[in-house]
Amino acid sequence: MSLTLDEVLAQNDPTKVEQLSKEELHRLFWRFKGQQKTSDRDKAFWQSTNENLKVAYERLDEQERELARAYGIIQEDLSVAHNVQRALLPRVLGEMADEIEVAVYHKQLTEVGGDYYDFFRLPNNRFAIGVFDISGHGVSSALITAFLKAQFMQVMEHFDSPQGIVEWVNRTSFDFLREVRKYATVNLVTFDPDGIRYVSGGGYGYLLRADQSSHQFEKKNHFLGLRLKPYREFSLPFASGDILALYTDGMVEAQNKQGIDYSVRRLNDVISRHRNDPCEDIVARCVEDYTAFRAQDTDDITLIVVRRR
Amino acid sequence: MTGQQDSTMLVHGSLMVGYAQACKNLNIVAGRAAHAFIDKLEINNWYPLEQWRELERLVLRSYGRVEPILVRVGIEMMLGWYHYGPGRSLIKHGASFLHFQTGSQGFTSVVQGAPEVIGTFDMDFYDRRRGRAVIHSTTPFNRWMERGVLIGGLSAPGDLDYVDVLQGDDPDLLHCEFH
Repeated sequence: MSLTLDEVLAQNDPTKVEQLSKEELHRLFWRFKGQQKTSDRDKAFWQSTNENLKVAYERLDEQERELARAYGIIQEDLSVAHNVQRALLPRVLGEMADEIEVAVYHKQLTEVGGDYYDFFRLPNNRFAIGVFDISGHGVSSALITAFLKAQFMQVMEHFDSPQGIVEWVNRTSFDFLREVRKYATVNLVTFDPDGIRYVSGGGYGYLLRADQSSHQFEKKNHFLGLRLKPYREFSLPFASGDILALYTDGMVEAQNKQGIDYSVRRLNDVISRHRNDPCEDIVARCVEDYTAFRAQDTDDITLIVVRRR
Repeated sequence: MTGQQDSTMLVHGSLMVGYAQACKNLNIVAGRAAHAFIDKLEINNWYPLEQWRELERLVLRSYGRVEPILVRVGIEMMLGWYHYGPGRSLIKHGASFLHFQTGSQGFTSVVQGAPEVIGTFDMDFYDRRRGRAVIHSTTPFNRWMERGVLIGGLSAPGDLDYVDVLQGDDPDLLHCEFH
């Protein structure tokens, strides 16, 4: 009795091949040849795919090298930009150092950033401190800091009051800032012999008097570049031993792992606790406390602490 | 084939989608752009030949030796057509695919245009007993892919033990062998 090819294959016994009919032997022949053909086609397909993969890896490798080269150039540029931005930061003016003790902590999130502070000399021989936070981070914000510095340098020769200065800068910068879709917080403080005047739009200011009373800056003004409206100026006494802290939102809005803000209150408490220390030490304690608290930095940070001598 | 001729020929979405799906199944098209292009195809639409060419280029530009890939795409297309499309209800035996493909429901049903542009896909010779056939193709499609289409269509029903399609000296003649 002859068997079919499928029956022989099902029995898994090669000796049964002898029982295949002639017709089934032919089928076996063609099936074997068919498998060879399929195998040849598969082999050609996978060879071609493999060659393609090899070419793709080589291209990837080349692109990786290109990327590394481009990244190197960008890093070098950013490093130069970082140095330029640092060089644009001010040194404490001589007459300023005679009147106040100053300490600064300034850290950009990336090589260059959008926090900017400056010390200005006014036409009435007084001086001012400005702290600004440009929206966003990185290169675009850094470019705006240079622009704002140029604007402030121009106007400082013409106005004594923070209100006049800030309104002039807002007016002359408004169209440009709108065009580039940027705005900036402003915190400008002028130091008179017995007090301070300030304009704050989005900036933070904390005044701690020697008699233990304190005052948080009014923030009712608008940011630079947002509205063409007048700014309100405020005056406060600032006597010997009084401490003034000016800062951007970088520290106070940073969060810990539980998503809780570092907060204005916590920063002010640290300042208050260390009020009798030198300003450098107050800043150092604030940075220590902040660093221990926050999960990671998420913004540029500027903190300036001054004390009337 | 010139651009002007291209513009007078239309390719049915089922062919485009079948080709695209085969490319996806075999993971031979890469990148978001390719997938975005493929995903926009509609099975019931007609597309200009240039769009088919674009689909072909997605494969052609990726491979140094593209011929085995195109054969495989053709096979995959027809396996998909048979197992997941209407194929199973249209042909019962592998050999009858040749009649189907060269008949009114085959090639001519998925292209539109002037005869001199769309070309022909005819059976010049057929001998079932000896398992031989010759297809004469003057379509604007790639012959390697057409070889795959014939191999896939002949193999899909699973009743043939041996299937091969080769090109002779005349690249438009596709020599089929099936047993």
